[in-house]
Amino acid sequence: MRTDNLVILLAEDDDGHASLIQRNLKRAGLANEIVRVRDGQEALDYLRREGPFAGRASAPPLLLLVDINMPRVDGVGVLQAVKADPETAKLPVIMLTTTDDPREVERCYALGCSVYVTKPVKYEDFVDALTRLGMFLAIVKVPPTRATGGGSGA
Amino acid sequence: MSGHARPKTPSAVPPERLAEILDIAEDGIVTVNLRREVVLFNRGAARIFGYAPAEILGRPLEDLLPLADRPNHAAQVDGFSRGPDVSRVMGDRRVVAGRRKDGTAFPAEVTISKLEHGGEPLLTAIVRDATVRKKYEDALVQMNQELEERVRARTAELAERNLQLAQKNEENELFVYSVSHDLRSPLVNLEGFSDELRLSQGDLEKLLRDPAIPADVRDRATDLVTAGMGESITFIRAAVARLSRIIDALLRLSRAGRVEYHPKTLGMNALVRRVVDALHNTTTEKGATIVVGDLPAAWADPTAVDQVFANLVGNALNYLDPARPGRIEVGGREGADGPDGSPDPAANTYWVADNGLGIPAPHLPKLFQPFQRLHADRAPGEGIGLAIVRRILGRVGGTIRAESVPGAGSTFFVTLPAGRSGGPGPSREDAG
Repeated sequence: MRTDNLVILLAEDDDGHASLIQRNLKRAGLANEIVRVRDGQEALDYLRREGPFAGRASAPPLLLLVDINMPRVDGVGVLQAVKADPETAKLPVIMLTTTDDPREVERCYALGCSVYVTKPVKYEDFVDALTRLGMFLAIVKVPPTRATGGGSGA
Repeated sequence: MSGHARPKTPSAVPPERLAEILDIAEDGIVTVNLRREVVLFNRGAARIFGYAPAEILGRPLEDLLPLADRPNHAAQVDGFSRGPDVSRVMGDRRVVAGRRKDGTAFPAEVTISKLEHGGEPLLTAIVRDATVRKKYEDALVQMNQELEERVRARTAELAERNLQLAQKNEENELFVYSVSHDLRSPLVNLEGFSDELRLSQGDLEKLLRDPAIPADVRDRATDLVTAGMGESITFIRAAVARLSRIIDALLRLSRAGRVEYHPKTLGMNALVRRVVDALHNTTTEKGATIVVGDLPAAWADPTAVDQVFANLVGNALNYLDPARPGRIEVGGREGADGPDGSPDPAANTYWVADNGLGIPAPHLPKLFQPFQRLHADRAPGEGIGLAIVRRILGRVGGTIRAESVPGAGSTFFVTLPAGRSGGPGPSREDAG
């Protein structure tokens, strides 16, 4: 399966954060399209192809980037729903948050998130974290020119 | 008083004088015969009961008792006169009731004694009007009750107040936490986009080096981009960095109040040794010496106490006086001074003393408030270390205070609940 045409689902209610995340993922060399939704409910609608996303193509996203503090359904709610549904349980979920509250981190890992990224207020650290994220994604991603073996990742 | 030989004393009083003394005694003296007829009634009794002796002599003793007490009394008196006891305090110095001539009852303290006279037992009662005493006693009992009631009410009030304060404290901490948490979100944008601006600024500067651009436009644009935009961005970024540090500090402060602590017996020698070891590099760098005395065990959460001493020793190192070699002493003793100055054996005292810069007296009261910095040029930070220390100690049942002489050094005194020592011995770390 080709992955370069797979989208990354970004659930983030803050426009600024969403823009910064997208800019930095691009800067880190990520070619995948990023679909941005504004809250957890929209993220679940996208995954279940319901509501505004009823007509979208059937391929699941490559991974989910989910902010924790969102209206309606929050990031933890999305994580729980994704992990509870066998259709989506294997999707990597990356939690994004402004705090490194140990209890919250613990809770997210217990619920099965792949990575927990604190949005560091220090911008350099933020770029670092997202670059690492980008590199992690680059490994998952198969570049279109070399997509011969339908290859697995690392 | 019989004619038997008795050791004669120089002050022996003749019988007629004795009768006189009895007569003028302050207490009432009433003597009855076996038939309970009054045979002696002194002036004191007359004053108490309101009868002249002539009125009562020969009358039954019951005349001197309240109507309600009369039926039982005869049997009691008969019992006593036949019994082996020679004297008895009625009601064990409790008050019994008497009846005055005018019919009013009064509390009386009565001692009763038995004397044989010519083969007939005579019963003598010494009566004291206990009206006043009873009144005082009743008042005392009532005052006591009122006092106890007030103490109970006040205790309940204080408990309620404490509960309210604890709730308020919790609310405050939650408030600080959510505010600082919420403040971080816009800060991510400020930081992120000011950096985006800086990147754009760099790109613009590169663009402006294009020789195709006319020199006068390039000069004006470069000035705008480098001096104008550059300075603005620098200021924004510095402000954002400061805001970020303050918010982080607030989060740490509120976390210190929300964390759950698990107390256990702490071998303070080992704990402080670890703290001092962790600061070894700084200590060497500053050329300072740290001396640790023998410290009594404490009863507290290890992480919390670790944080307290790391902070205090760290501060001592940070604010040493470059004019003399730094010397820091960590000491301790069993017991502590309670809030009212009385000794408190349930707590132990520890101190961190330095010969550093010291703290001027006007600053001492503000020492444990957040965001107070005295020697801001000496070390980085937001001035919340001691605020956190005090908060932690409040949570683990400890206290902190400071003494200081500017130019000579400071001493921080910490109290912690005393550890449950397992007896003397080297195994201080054995308690789980």
